[in-house]
Amino acid sequence: MSATTHRRAAGRAAGTGRATGGAYTAVALLILAVMLFPLYWMLNASLLPSTELVRHAPTWFPVHGTLQGYRRALSTQGSHLLISLGVSAGTVVLVLLIAVPAAYGLAQLRAPGGRLLTFAFLVAQMIPGVVMANSFYTAANRLGLLDSPLALVLADSTLCVPFAVLILQASMRGVPAELSEAALLDGASKLRTLLSVILPVSRNAVVTASLFSFLFAWADFLFAVTLTTRDDRAPVTVGIYRFIGAHLSDWNSVMATGIIASLPAAVLLVVAQRYVAAGVTSGAVKD
Amino acid sequence: MSRLLRTSRLFRPAARPGALAALAAAGALTLAACGTGSGSGGSGGAPDTLTEIDYYDAAPQNTQLPQILDECGVRNGVKIKHQQVPRAQFMPKLLQQASARSLPDLALIDNPDLQQVAATGGLVSLSKAGLSTEGLYPSIAQAGQYQGQTYGIAPGVNGLALYYNTDFFTRAGLEPPTTWAELAADAKKLTQGPRYGVAFSAVGTEEGTFQFEPFFWTARGNLKELDSPQAVKALTLWKDLVGSGSASKSVVTWTQADVNDQFMAGNAAMMVNGPWQLPTLNADKKLHFGVVPIPVPSPDAKPVTPLGGEVWTVGHSKPAREAKAVAVVKCLLSQDESAKWSKDAGYIPSNQRAAAQLASADPQLAAFVQEVGTAKARTTELGTAYPKVSQALADAIQAVLAGGTSPGSALSQAQSAAKN
Amino acid sequence: MSITVQGRQAATTAAPAPPGGRSRGPARVRWAAVAFVAPAWLYVAGFYLYPLASSIRMGFQDYTVSSFYTGVAPYVGWDNYSKVLHDGHFGETVLNTVLFTAGSLAFQFAIGLALAVFFSRRFPLGGPLRSLLLVPWLLPLVVSGTAWRWILDTDSGVLNHVLLNVHLIAHPVPWLASTHDSLTAVTLVNIWVGIPFNMVILYGGLQSIPGELYEAASLDGAGGWQRFRHITLPLLRPVTAVVLTLGLIYTVKVFDVIMILTQGGPAGSSQTLTTFAYNLSFQQLEFGRGAAVGNLLIGVAVVFAVVYLRATREQRQAGR
Repeated sequence: MSATTHRRAAGRAAGTGRATGGAYTAVALLILAVMLFPLYWMLNASLLPSTELVRHAPTWFPVHGTLQGYRRALSTQGSHLLISLGVSAGTVVLVLLIAVPAAYGLAQLRAPGGRLLTFAFLVAQMIPGVVMANSFYTAANRLGLLDSPLALVLADSTLCVPFAVLILQASMRGVPAELSEAALLDGASKLRTLLSVILPVSRNAVVTASLFSFLFAWADFLFAVTLTTRDDRAPVTVGIYRFIGAHLSDWNSVMATGIIASLPAAVLLVVAQRYVAAGVTSGAVKD
Repeated sequence: MSRLLRTSRLFRPAARPGALAALAAAGALTLAACGTGSGSGGSGGAPDTLTEIDYYDAAPQNTQLPQILDECGVRNGVKIKHQQVPRAQFMPKLLQQASARSLPDLALIDNPDLQQVAATGGLVSLSKAGLSTEGLYPSIAQAGQYQGQTYGIAPGVNGLALYYNTDFFTRAGLEPPTTWAELAADAKKLTQGPRYGVAFSAVGTEEGTFQFEPFFWTARGNLKELDSPQAVKALTLWKDLVGSGSASKSVVTWTQADVNDQFMAGNAAMMVNGPWQLPTLNADKKLHFGVVPIPVPSPDAKPVTPLGGEVWTVGHSKPAREAKAVAVVKCLLSQDESAKWSKDAGYIPSNQRAAAQLASADPQLAAFVQEVGTAKARTTELGTAYPKVSQALADAIQAVLAGGTSPGSALSQAQSAAKN
Repeated sequence: MSITVQGRQAATTAAPAPPGGRSRGPARVRWAAVAFVAPAWLYVAGFYLYPLASSIRMGFQDYTVSSFYTGVAPYVGWDNYSKVLHDGHFGETVLNTVLFTAGSLAFQFAIGLALAVFFSRRFPLGGPLRSLLLVPWLLPLVVSGTAWRWILDTDSGVLNHVLLNVHLIAHPVPWLASTHDSLTAVTLVNIWVGIPFNMVILYGGLQSIPGELYEAASLDGAGGWQRFRHITLPLLRPVTAVVLTLGLIYTVKVFDVIMILTQGGPAGSSQTLTTFAYNLSFQQLEFGRGAAVGNLLIGVAVVFAVVYLRATREQRQAGR
């Protein structure tokens, strides 16, 4: 990163001219083009007949494209997408319910044993996924929770809670004590202080934690395949896997499914991003 | 499955789903989970639903199998709940189910894994249950046995043969190779521009070992002695094919499905692959190909290929369920169903007579049927020690093809790793 | 953190003020704190304790396929560990893990920070473009990993095609098919996967640094690099510590990327401890040894958790 870039970045509050803004947009587009090239390649593949894919001279543009892949994908993956959305959203809620109070307790109220808890969360992250999956399977089997979205939410949350606690804690530690003390003096309960003072200020971290909880749950394959036995209860990662198997020599359907599967969540991301931006501005107003 | 679970919940007082606290406590509960032997639920009477698990995630097998299961279910008055998991998740899942004592009633297990699973004690002895393996190829019957009992029976088997693109061969004025020397010479001649002479899978798993075994065993190699001169000879053949540019360096990353893609795209004039690719290959009308047995080192030798394919097993539960499951397996193995399965899924019937009939009716399968007669089950030499040796051998193949190690030293390393 | 910055910081309420000095109330206050943290403790006990214990126990057992059904597995002491340590592939695997982790972390973090700084400026379409960078995360790795396999293919891959055309290479590079390049290739793809994670979290961190600090520093005559060095980096430290520690743990744990691209091959050249543990357990069915390798990784996590706690404690003290 160059110093110039940063100087400009630092001036973000001051507002900038149209011309430089346009140049920045151009650079951003270039960055995006490089980062998303593999996706373009999938899009390209999704429109190409299968044998073109292993051709030795790459076909850069799908001029002789076929939409067949999309037709097939749409008809099979719809319900899996809904399940994934539900499970991911549920995971976000559960994660926030546990992580927000914990982070507040650790960062602002200095709960005893806080360092030990942080330590436990960090170490817990390294327990091999297969080992976790094994015990969840046993538990879900005994509780009759196999094929239940609840089991998936609970299992997926283990991927996110430690992350969320750490990131929220890091952010809340930065919230000045004066703010919460003022609220407490005003007679607000700790819970109200958390909800009406601390949370709005650490909105960024909350959104980041939610976003990644959503993404971690969305991308999970191991727990999904372990805890579901019925095809109609499987989230999209498993749905796509089955679809790949069924169309092994039909890569354009596979890539089309991949693209379609990412669309609803991509829309959600853009919407969430607007929300983050709004959060930032409202935070700025508070200053 | 859901029905089953709902019934079984009634028998489990601990089951109160929904509450967060319940699963939080589950960690503690699971400690005591083993040993209750609750089976797959159901009461003493005849069950109305059986569970089944397999790893056929690819077409056409994944669409054909449920049909056949449904048929056999209807015939036995039982509904079969079909579940398919990815290959890589199959053993983990089966083991989870074993430790939760909830093994499925029916499982279609890869034959080299059968002995491992049978060793758990979780499978019903099919020979005791009255199923016979008479008329099946002896190697197939043997692949389903553990400690003198039959635990698994294959509805159909597969092997490996050499596919060749007839257009390329005719244009070059060549006949399909029968010996290693011809294979190497033809491959070299057919390598042109972006096209390679031959493609095979040398991926670093059991799949790569499986593809190498026809050459290894045909050269009279023995899995108990990975560093024998015969083994070195077989690996040298592969090394030379890649070294001379007749086969792509990418073979170490290709699975058998990738190899098939390459062949279909015209990137390879020949490939080593199994009969399960036939339905896909035949669907491409522009592709013209033939199938011959795997080439041999000297004209008088016979190809020895590994026996591929899955065996039906029955998991322990309650006597009534087990009996029902055995009846379904009997139906699945009947000549009718077995022949249908083989035809639709690209398999060779395990029954010798049915296989011979199929070979005369379908010339594409003739090469495979011919090989099944001399095929070898992978666990014959080593039993439950097979997975480890297979891994060592796959590592050696990759070290030679991708890392430039000599076949001799790679194989002697493999031998010491396998003994560890 | 320079003294000037601290002085400025106190002047703005939204700035991360030095913590401490708060909630030094009576014991009753601490009980409230305990109540807030209690669900998290229960969560740890309910969800992680049993898997952790069973993994550690399995590492000391001769755990076979039959053990899953019978529950019987004899204890063998440190046998599994000694066998793993004497495995011919162990040294190479550890080295691969270190190189993979260090390479991934360094580039993910550097590129992620650069992008975060870049995108914290306001410009047309900046917001939507930034969130689109996250899209790779929405694709199941089975799918994007397969796309990468095509891109990196020796003969038909577009990467080699481009590199050949611009004469950066003379012969196609066997990215995934050679023991020399496979680790580079999987690291490359893993960096790609990890950049959005780093960018978003660091971006969040940058957002909470008040713009007034930069303005004030400008008035004091600080240049762009100085401001980055003396404002951005120090104030980003808590977030940096989280990103690096979690990034490290997530990277050591990476499984899918490697399994899809190379399966740890060719010949173990891209094998890391995580894929090695999987391989021991599910290819060779040596569950005890697989668990032993997994436990070594847990040991690694313990070490870095301690480092993290140290780093954050110093931070707190530095803040006082």
